[in-house]
Amino acid sequence: MDQLSGIHLAYGLYLVLIICGGLVAVLARSLVRALSGLIVTLFGVAGMYLLMAAPFIALMQILIYVGAVTVLIFFAIMLTRTSEGESGSESGRIGRGFLGIWAAGFSTLVLAAVVIRHMPKAIPLKPEVTMGRLGEFLTGPYSLSFELISVVLFVAMAGAVLLGFERRKAK
Amino acid sequence: MNYLVWYHLAALILFGLGLYGITCRKSLVGMLISVELMLNGAGLALVASSRLTPALDELGQLGTLLVMGLAAAEATLVLAIILIVSRRFGTTEIADIATLKG
Repeated sequence: MDQLSGIHLAYGLYLVLIICGGLVAVLARSLVRALSGLIVTLFGVAGMYLLMAAPFIALMQILIYVGAVTVLIFFAIMLTRTSEGESGSESGRIGRGFLGIWAAGFSTLVLAAVVIRHMPKAIPLKPEVTMGRLGEFLTGPYSLSFELISVVLFVAMAGAVLLGFERRKAK
Repeated sequence: MNYLVWYHLAALILFGLGLYGITCRKSLVGMLISVELMLNGAGLALVASSRLTPALDELGQLGTLLVMGLAAAEATLVLAIILIVSRRFGTTEIADIATLKG
């Protein structure tokens, strides 16, 4: 019983982290502040992975997202000097905000209704999958997807470098 | 309501926030941040579905890993595109990037 309330407490903490960080990420005028909110959200999601006894995915979340992706976005902000935030007229802002709330709220509510009504029964948490087992899967039956994702990453990197070169040559 | 529903609701919150951001943000970097939020929601839903149902554990975890790899590749490409757009138009506000607009 004590352990159960601990789980609920941890879930609530991570949920608060996710919601507050996500709100800051979406609503903040300054993009650097929005990125800080995104980092808080990423840590909250990593905590949820830990709560589901998937520590490898949680570590990868921190390593890839917090370590790599947010640094990339920081570079994007720095190189384009958009840290001052977003300008724009107030009248257009309110109309867009209303449309955005309508779109996001409607689709989220429909999906939430489906989730609540038709979710299959959850089973108690299975024992943790070892990292070796994951590695066997990745090199055995899923080796093609593993190779494909490395090809995709390589193509993305090469494309980014190529785009950067072309910009410099055209100058 | 069981645990599975709660985790999926957290993923849905991430999805909704990302969708709101992608419609309301006025700069490309802000939209990129919103897309990352939505991808995180997808990963959370995948892991929750594989951990708390009789489905294969490895499938969900490796799927989330692939989503993370795709997110990294996408962020790299979007960074290059944002750089070029800001060099060519002098701004990353989506309202000002209107060369093709009739």
